[in-house]
Amino acid sequence: MSARSIVLKMKAIMFALVVVLAVLGSHQVQAQFLHPKIKSKETTIRRVVVLPAKVNVVRDSMKGPEGMAAESDELSARVETMVAEVLSKQKHVTTLPATAASAEGDAQQKYNVADFQNKFDDLLPKIMKKRSDVKKGRFSMGDEVLNLNLEKGADAVVFIRGDGKKLTSGKTAFKLLVGGTPAYLRLQIGIVDARNGEVLLYTDPIFPGDPTTAVDRLRKALEKGFKKLPEVKG
Amino acid sequence: MFPRKPTNLIVAALYFCIVLTSVGPVAVAQKKTAPVEATPPPLSEEFKFGGVDLEVLQQADLLDVRLERDGLVLADESANAYLRRIGQSLIPRGLKIERVSWRFRALRDPQPNAFALPNGSIYVTTGLMTLIDNESQLAAIIAHELTHVMRRHTYVHNRSNRKKFLTMNVMSAIGAYAPGGLVGAVITVVTTVAPFIMIATIYGYSRDLEREADLKGIDMMISAEYPPEEMVNVMKLLDKDFEGENIRLFYNDHPSLDERIKYLSSYLGARADRVTPQMELNRERKLYFGKVESVMRHDLQLAINAGRARSAVYLAQRLVDFHDDSENLFWLAESYRALGPRAPQLAEKELTNSAKKDAAKKSLKRTAEEEERELLATPAGKENWQRHQQLAEQMYRRALSAETPTPVAHRGLGMLYEKLGRGSDAAAEYEKYLEQSPAAIDRERIQRRIEALKEKLK
Repeated sequence: MSARSIVLKMKAIMFALVVVLAVLGSHQVQAQFLHPKIKSKETTIRRVVVLPAKVNVVRDSMKGPEGMAAESDELSARVETMVAEVLSKQKHVTTLPATAASAEGDAQQKYNVADFQNKFDDLLPKIMKKRSDVKKGRFSMGDEVLNLNLEKGADAVVFIRGDGKKLTSGKTAFKLLVGGTPAYLRLQIGIVDARNGEVLLYTDPIFPGDPTTAVDRLRKALEKGFKKLPEVKG
Repeated sequence: MFPRKPTNLIVAALYFCIVLTSVGPVAVAQKKTAPVEATPPPLSEEFKFGGVDLEVLQQADLLDVRLERDGLVLADESANAYLRRIGQSLIPRGLKIERVSWRFRALRDPQPNAFALPNGSIYVTTGLMTLIDNESQLAAIIAHELTHVMRRHTYVHNRSNRKKFLTMNVMSAIGAYAPGGLVGAVITVVTTVAPFIMIATIYGYSRDLEREADLKGIDMMISAEYPPEEMVNVMKLLDKDFEGENIRLFYNDHPSLDERIKYLSSYLGARADRVTPQMELNRERKLYFGKVESVMRHDLQLAINAGRARSAVYLAQRLVDFHDDSENLFWLAESYRALGPRAPQLAEKELTNSAKKDAAKKSLKRTAEEEERELLATPAGKENWQRHQQLAEQMYRRALSAETPTPVAHRGLGMLYEKLGRGSDAAAEYEKYLEQSPAAIDRERIQRRIEALKEKLK
């Protein structure tokens, strides 16, 4: 291969990369991975329990990131509600109350929920390392899920995690000058079988913009995030 | 473009920071030779609150709420009251500090750690309470943390950090090696609410501030009649690395444990000569274990859940040596079962910094079940599993033959037999468990296991 053709090839690759990055930078991106049991319809998700979402956003200023605890709590609640709405409207999946799973006052039950949430946090980096393995049915949280003592009839448990960044005006100006990551929200949603703990679905919608205010974008991202999940019929 | 896989960016940022901070070690080396001086007064009296400090204070209050809400605070009133009693005995009488309200609580985290928030909340993890030997060592930890609050170290550290570009990269570096699951839960919560507080509280303040907290802590211990040399002993205990997780990042600005032990021993000098009967009492191991036995049991469950089986075996054995009742024997059995095909101790080559980093990366790639399967395919893994399952069975049997046998030992034995492929034995043990604990929280789980086993045996 001549030097000229190598240069041309490199230029073509660079151009393709720029296009891909530009597209990713302006649109919502999401990937969905379904367990083979869902694809083959051996398992159907009809009723779910949504566990409290943990979505954390930080304010990125010129002096580094600052916590936004109150805004994160508000966003977590909003995402939780919106996930239930999208599942209900688009897929006709019923959301059961998580009251039994998070009973206040019962320390042991509270610990069970907290520990199971942490177990998902432990599994999440492994899923993210090879998300496509969800399609092979590789990930499971084990039958400890039954210790949550969810409402009878629950088919699955929904775990929601997220991280986002809001830029201060100073940081926005700095980004325009020298580049950097824009404001964004990335969600990581896992749906786990309520009987054996198998990860049935994993999706991670991501979109640019201020995570605390972009309500419509959030809804659209979620709708796309659950696109492949089969609709409940009848 | 979004940081889907931020690791490469972090590595690049870290290299950049290393270049930026390459003059640092010279200054640090000079500090090491400084003589040990008397400690300053307990309060930072000249401290004036600014807007930035009030923000930090607000974040600290939010952190308290978050830790409680996320089920990370141990709801054991006697354990928290015990911590409170020790804490109050260390605080100089009549001391009032602006915007500080003392609270002492145990955190459900098997990783040994303690931290103080600037609003006066002191947290000691169950992992640390289980690791230490006596009340004096607990007092040493609390005294150290109290000094951070009294000397306003979080505010000082925050003011200084805000001027450093380095800080945000430090957080990225910590994030890259932060453990997941329960062990990482506290780190996640603190990072979310207050990234700056996270660096200081979890990973330590600067060398000078840590040193001040150590030395002042010794003075406070002596005043409260705790033998001060226990501060050195607790440092030695913290040096134990059962799980190969103490990874040193380039940022580790706070003094190394070796260095701390050295200057603390030098500072102690004649201060350790005076021994009162109360000091002797505070050094009693049995007395301490008796007070925190329930915390230790709770921590063993957390350690097993978090995959810290090596720590669990060590700590459960200590608990059984103290009191070999049915429940403690059960926890030792559970720890051996969790240890499975793993070696009981890490080899020396596995304890090097690079080996630990490799192990941390590897743990991200495979699940616990996959790790076990890999180990079981090796002769050493098979041998370990055989030994550990025998020890586990032995301990479950001892737990069941103890004076008031705990029914959960039947469940543990059932799980062990199920793993060994002894289906009918497993089902029988599960049935005994449910018979003796009809209201068990995991009733449905065990019932389903019985059904599945019976189905298989048909």
